[in-house]
Amino acid sequence: MVHFYIDAIAAIILFGVGLYGVTSKSDFLKIFFSLEMLLNAVILLLASAAYNFGLTKGLAIAYVIIVIATLEAAAGVLIFILANRITGEIIPDHLDKAVSDE
Amino acid sequence: MSVLILAIAIILAVMSLTQKNTVPAVISFVMMMFLLGIYYIFMGEKLLGLFQIFVYTGGIVVLTLFGVTVVGSKFPKFEIRPWAVSVVTLVIIGLIIIPFLLPDIPYEGKAIPLKDQVKIFTDFYGQIAIFMSVVAASILYGSIRMLHTLKHGKE
Repeated sequence: MVHFYIDAIAAIILFGVGLYGVTSKSDFLKIFFSLEMLLNAVILLLASAAYNFGLTKGLAIAYVIIVIATLEAAAGVLIFILANRITGEIIPDHLDKAVSDE
Repeated sequence: MSVLILAIAIILAVMSLTQKNTVPAVISFVMMMFLLGIYYIFMGEKLLGLFQIFVYTGGIVVLTLFGVTVVGSKFPKFEIRPWAVSVVTLVIIGLIIIPFLLPDIPYEGKAIPLKDQVKIFTDFYGQIAIFMSVVAASILYGSIRMLHTLKHGKE
């Protein structure tokens, strides 16, 4: 049970770091890193529950999360490059302004 | 050992967000994902660990390196949003309390049959799930409200 607490607290801190990155950073690459951290915090918690309590059903969800993260990375890089083409920057706040100007 | 690996992973996660140059940030991110993969392998979840290493330190990092070629060697300067720190601190404190509220699960050292896993969730975590959904709904409402206020403040 102690092992699960350690993993749970680490996952929560990782989730917090990711959440901070998503809410405070204003360039696409760091937001992308932060989103991956959020997903990895969940995977860590699911893996820990499977190891400590035998809740192996969570591992299936973890694999699905990894697949979704891969797709999200591909879509993220696409948006990233499009934003760079439109605005010449990688700051999402400026994208809105550039699109409204056009 | 597990505490050490997780602590280094968290430090690397923080480093990947605080670096001013892009390449060290990507390297910190890669190392964090690799350490988490190693941690899963130590746990006994070899497939998950290998998946993590192949997908994150392999595939996704190639994509981010492609992004780095677009960005250049330095990140652009950004405006710090002070409310983000306070919101995240509140969320972390709230979430850290939850594992200590969970009741003990009767675990006998072998995998629980899949049919019983749903029963465990409903018996042990049902009430906490309702509590968490209320918390999540209030955070969602607060963030939408905050975005609305910020937008109107700018205008």
